[in-house]
Amino acid sequence: MLELSRVLGAEHVITEPEQLRVYECDGLTGHRAIPELVALPASTEEVQAVVRACHRDRIPFVARGAGTGLSGGATPLAGGVVISLARMNRILEIDLGSQRIVVEPGVANLEVTRAVANDGYFYAPDPSSQQVCTIGGNVAENSGGAHCLKNGFTVHHVTGVTLVLPDGEVVELGGKSLDPEGPDLLGLIVGSEGTLGIVTSITLRLVRSPEVVQTLLAGFETTDAAGAAVSAIVAAGVLPAALEMMDRLTIEAAELAVAPGYPAGAGAVLLVELDGVSDQVEEDAAEVERICAECGAFEIRVATNDLARALLWKGRKSAFAAMGRVATDYYVQDGVVPRTRLPAVLRRIEELSATHGLRVGNVFHAGDGNLHPLVLYDAERGETERARDLAEAILDACLDAGGSLTGEHGVGMDKACSMPRMFSERDLETFGRVRRAFDRDGLCNPGKVIPTPRLCGEVPGPYRVHPLERMGVAERL
Amino acid sequence: MLAAAHTEGRRLAIGEDLTTDGLDRILEHEAGDLTCTVEAGVRLSTLQHALADHGQRLSLDPPGDPTVGALLARNLSGPLRHRFGAPRDLVLGVTLVLADGTIASAGGKVVKNVAGYDLARLVCGSQGRLALIARVSLRLHPLPKARQTLAIETDDAGTVVRSLLGSQLQPSALDVLHPGGILVLFEGSPRAVAAQVAAAQGLVGGVEVDFGAWDVSRRRQAAALERIRFDPGLLEKTLHELRNAVVRPAAGVAYSENDMPSNRLLQGEIEKLLVERIRSELDPNGVLAA
Ligand SMILES: Cc1cc2nc3c(=O)[nH]c(=O)nc-3n(C[C@H](O)[C@H](O)[C@H](O)COP(=O)(O)OP(=O)(O)OC[C@H]3O[C@@H](n4cnc5c(N)ncnc54)[C@H](O)[C@@H]3O)c2cc1C
Repeated sequence: MLELSRVLGAEHVITEPEQLRVYECDGLTGHRAIPELVALPASTEEVQAVVRACHRDRIPFVARGAGTGLSGGATPLAGGVVISLARMNRILEIDLGSQRIVVEPGVANLEVTRAVANDGYFYAPDPSSQQVCTIGGNVAENSGGAHCLKNGFTVHHVTGVTLVLPDGEVVELGGKSLDPEGPDLLGLIVGSEGTLGIVTSITLRLVRSPEVVQTLLAGFETTDAAGAAVSAIVAAGVLPAALEMMDRLTIEAAELAVAPGYPAGAGAVLLVELDGVSDQVEEDAAEVERICAECGAFEIRVATNDLARALLWKGRKSAFAAMGRVATDYYVQDGVVPRTRLPAVLRRIEELSATHGLRVGNVFHAGDGNLHPLVLYDAERGETERARDLAEAILDACLDAGGSLTGEHGVGMDKACSMPRMFSERDLETFGRVRRAFDRDGLCNPGKVIPTPRLCGEVPGPYRVHPLERMGVAERL
Repeated sequence: MLAAAHTEGRRLAIGEDLTTDGLDRILEHEAGDLTCTVEAGVRLSTLQHALADHGQRLSLDPPGDPTVGALLARNLSGPLRHRFGAPRDLVLGVTLVLADGTIASAGGKVVKNVAGYDLARLVCGSQGRLALIARVSLRLHPLPKARQTLAIETDDAGTVVRSLLGSQLQPSALDVLHPGGILVLFEGSPRAVAAQVAAAQGLVGGVEVDFGAWDVSRRRQAAALERIRFDPGLLEKTLHELRNAVVRPAAGVAYSENDMPSNRLLQGEIEKLLVERIRSELDPNGVLAA
């Protein structure tokens, strides 16, 4: 403690119980623990010093970005150390000639695009939390966003990192060029949820802004019909920049909250965004319109300018926040299914919703099969347990369809105990071996990703309002 | 076989002592999902034929005809790397056989998935030293309806490349055949391809050539002595140092047909140590140590 104060400066080491409380959880507020102290280093060397001290004294530590994670990834261990990267928020280098940018981990996602937008570039992965979530957190979670269908996820856009290993050594992986020699350690690090080390600088690809962008909104009577349109669009070889779906419940909630004026009576809307060279976009847009009409769309709107586009996106972007209008509590699930199975799985979710007697709203990244079912419940009426059962049953339906436990929110603490439903004991044991190669002493974000008996005896709590939301810093876009 | 070698303390080299030639089935091709799952011994050409029947492809075109396992283990790519990436960008999941015989899977067969460690990417470029790759799930793309190649002769490749990369054109491939030549591939609908070619010509000139031009690029890549990496922004300087080479400017990768004074591929010491630690966790007896 004294040692850290000397290295970081006393004001950058937090030990006051009141202040520590800010760090007790991330966006998954059901898991909480008070850390022993929070360190706020300002450089790779300072991160290294903190990690070395933890390593020497065998104290567990966890990195923290903006704390918007939805799987309990940044939840501390009681008595452990939180290493907040909040002060490492500088853009280190913009290299347009290489189409790269080098940033510290605490830089907010949207800041990257802001820094290069005037030059005609953008940073492609766009999680809905992009105003606040950090690049370090994005790297740890391999975050996605509405516009990742065509351009890929975080892992496709990170070309290099500086990583402080759990024993305090520093390693540089990749750089501005691609395809480094040897096993793809960078690919392993991205998405490893802060369990293999702490990332202290990141080199990202910048993407040239497209010539044209065109956005379509199609209203359908049922999610079945909209789901069929998704499959048909993918099968036709059209690759939209974004392909998002909302169902009746989430449309109704959005209308109550921000009145986007979506097609009246729609049981589902599809939002399709196409970008690229103009002739291709024109042809693809015509194809998408034709497919939607064939699949039973009763209304199609097209936006070609920014204002009209913002209007079409308004309902989608407000969907999560809007759920507060129709339910007191909700739980967000993050399962993935093969795109051809979307209609079947959506039907299954409807059945499960009926048998559990709880409503489920669906607003999700349809183009890559990533569902975000929102299980609505009222904790005060004792529905918590049932909501959790329903959420689990939905995950099982995704896995039965050949999908995944999580498409972008990560395993963290939340789903560690569900991992055996997707992976065998051998698979998990192999993950454990890889982890040991990095963290022999089990100090780096322990208890996350891989199930442990200690952890899996406990029961997670429900979603509650995230401290950042309460503070008005972030909203559930 | 691996388990036996593990207990007996023997060494095996994947591709030599142990091949995946028998593992040559295409297990699943979900055309509607644009994904497939194959055994690692399938030849790339065999897979591409099967996919083409459904109007799809794996967007990797390295020289030669490697098995899918070798494609991953050696992280091979060709001209299409420009737009579609390397194997690590298209792999969705793997099943591995570790040196002690443990069969372990990671990833999945869906295009989006963050559950568990990404061992599918980890084994890309592992040269068969970490584990045997037995089964692979891959992301596919539709075959383009049309394609056209533009060839540009220039002694100022740097400027041509810069104006192409700085434009809003979206080529599928862009190779500098150093010295003197540049190839650009456009794919898509016939109308959009024609428009892109015309726009590119307006920008940098050039003539349309046969698709076979890319075979030249691939042949030269295969014959290269060395692969080097460079910051894409330092293309001009790099070209200056190279004599004959195939250069992928956006990736910052060049296949040099001459010896280079300094090999810039070297891994750092700590990275090597890290790889060694992973290797010894996965293969403590050094069966695959080669
Ligand atoms: C309203 C809302 C909307 C969201 N929308 C999306 C979405 O569309 N797509 C999506 O993918 N996610 C979404 N998320 C989830 C979340 O925003 C992302 O996971 C994000 O990447 C987390 O970033 P963070 O900075 O908040 O990280 P934190 O929550 O602070 O940390 C997340 C994990 O990263 C680790 N970590 C943080 N920094 C580092 C570092 N420098 N080195 C190593 N490990 C580190 C932590 O230990 C933790 O395990 C949403 C969350 C909210 C609250």
